Amino acid sequence: MNMFLHELKAYRKSTLIWTCSLISVVLLFLAMFPAMSKDAADFKKMLDNYSPALVKALGFSFDSLFSLLGFYSSVTLMYVLLCGSIQAMNLGTSIISKEVRDKTADFLLTKPVSRMQIMTAKLCAVITSLVITNVFFIAAASLMASVVQTEAYDYKIFLLVSLPLFFVQLMFMSLGIIISVLVPKIRSVLPISLGTVFGFFILSMLSSSNGDTASRFITPFKYFDSTYIIKNSAYEASYSIVAILFIVVTIAASYIIYSKKDIHSV
Amino acid sequence: MNIFMREMKAHRKSLIFWCVGMIVMIISQMSKYTATSGDGQSLNTLMASMPKSLQAIIGSVSFDLSKLSGYYGMIFIYLALIATIHAAMLGADIISKEERDKTSEFLFVKPVSRNKVVTAKLSAAFVNIIILNIVTLITSIGLAGKYSKGEPLTSVIVNLMLGMFVLQLIFMFLGTGIAAVSNNPKGASSLAMGILLTTFILYNAIGMNSHLEVLKYLTPYKYFDAKNLISSVGFEPVFMILSALIILVLFTVTYVFYRRRDLEV
Repeated sequence: MNMFLHELKAYRKSTLIWTCSLISVVLLFLAMFPAMSKDAADFKKMLDNYSPALVKALGFSFDSLFSLLGFYSSVTLMYVLLCGSIQAMNLGTSIISKEVRDKTADFLLTKPVSRMQIMTAKLCAVITSLVITNVFFIAAASLMASVVQTEAYDYKIFLLVSLPLFFVQLMFMSLGIIISVLVPKIRSVLPISLGTVFGFFILSMLSSSNGDTASRFITPFKYFDSTYIIKNSAYEASYSIVAILFIVVTIAASYIIYSKKDIHSV
Repeated sequence: MNIFMREMKAHRKSLIFWCVGMIVMIISQMSKYTATSGDGQSLNTLMASMPKSLQAIIGSVSFDLSKLSGYYGMIFIYLALIATIHAAMLGADIISKEERDKTSEFLFVKPVSRNKVVTAKLSAAFVNIIILNIVTLITSIGLAGKYSKGEPLTSVIVNLMLGMFVLQLIFMFLGTGIAAVSNNPKGASSLAMGILLTTFILYNAIGMNSHLEVLKYLTPYKYFDAKNLISSVGFEPVFMILSALIILVLFTVTYVFYRRRDLEV
């Protein structure tokens, strides 16, 4: 319990900063919604002059994309996910590796606690910090959405498209943890986490054009497709299963590796 | 010269990683390019008449994707993003690492002035970002020759890479400036990254909403918009001056603050 509280306290400031920045991103983008929805209405009127076949060739459904939910899930969440993933990956990578880096591993590991307990306490602290971020984020997003809405939207779906933030964060967190137990000594966390997250982000941005399913498994950003969620109000089973498997396997592997790891002392 | 060589060697591995990442990125994107034929003409005009905010949502930016130059312009922002992340982190790291790794005592008891140390470190960082830029340039030109079907692209790519180079400089000096000023050596690269991420999100927000157009001076990514560099607009003088000013200020800040810095030992 001590370790858990200590870690929570150590990450208090960073959690606060990340929560605030996620909230400001969602506020910034949702604030643009009223203007966009006006543009969309004008454009829709103009579209009536074109032949239906041509409009169909544009290849997107107008009403779902330019509604509040469509706007929120396609544009806003993309940047929220980017920031949130960096936060999660930073936390995951640093929480184990910081003991070695700050030369406090000796101090911690000579205490009468097993490595399993250390890992569990640290993991719980990270997850708690992520949950706190998500709770505040969803509260702020819901509030802002109800302010800018032009017509009623389904709040259940709103929650369903918001929750993947937490799932994607968990995936990046476990990826970070396994990297931090595999690499002997990490000098600085940021290059690793930023490189990974931005790499996946850019992949997902540029792979969106071609809808092949296999490549969607590569980047966590593509696991929870909002179009599908809005249409079916459910997650895609295959991707959810892979996501859960990925998290469970990496965490389990991290436990095993960490309990046997040769820890560099001062 | 010793410090310079030492820094070059210390960053060699990470530079190789970044170069490989960049090359893989360019190859994977360029190989996806398939020139769309002209039958989408009416569709193109329809798309062009669409409000900017809507275009941004469906992901069609106003590039002519039937040409390789347009396609390259679309992926340029991501290349620039990779290069600037590298530059900002390198800048922050190279200045703050002595204190982080507790080697500042070792370095500063040597008979070199702080200015000399900063100069050597800055030159090393400078050479690093030039190498990344040149690797990007050569890979792009090489691949463009393969996919362009005769479209002359070299000058476009050289222009874009020049823009990217100035962006790299801005963010590198942002990193060094922050590292020289901030009290906490560990926080420097986080802060530089925070600023980078903010300007990147701002860049995207400006693309979606014309009311935010006035904010374009705040985000360097907007200074070298691929759209302008490809078309006849080219480099805009106001942004060139602004970039030079930013670089100059951050450059001075790095030297002045590092000289007066109370080193944490």
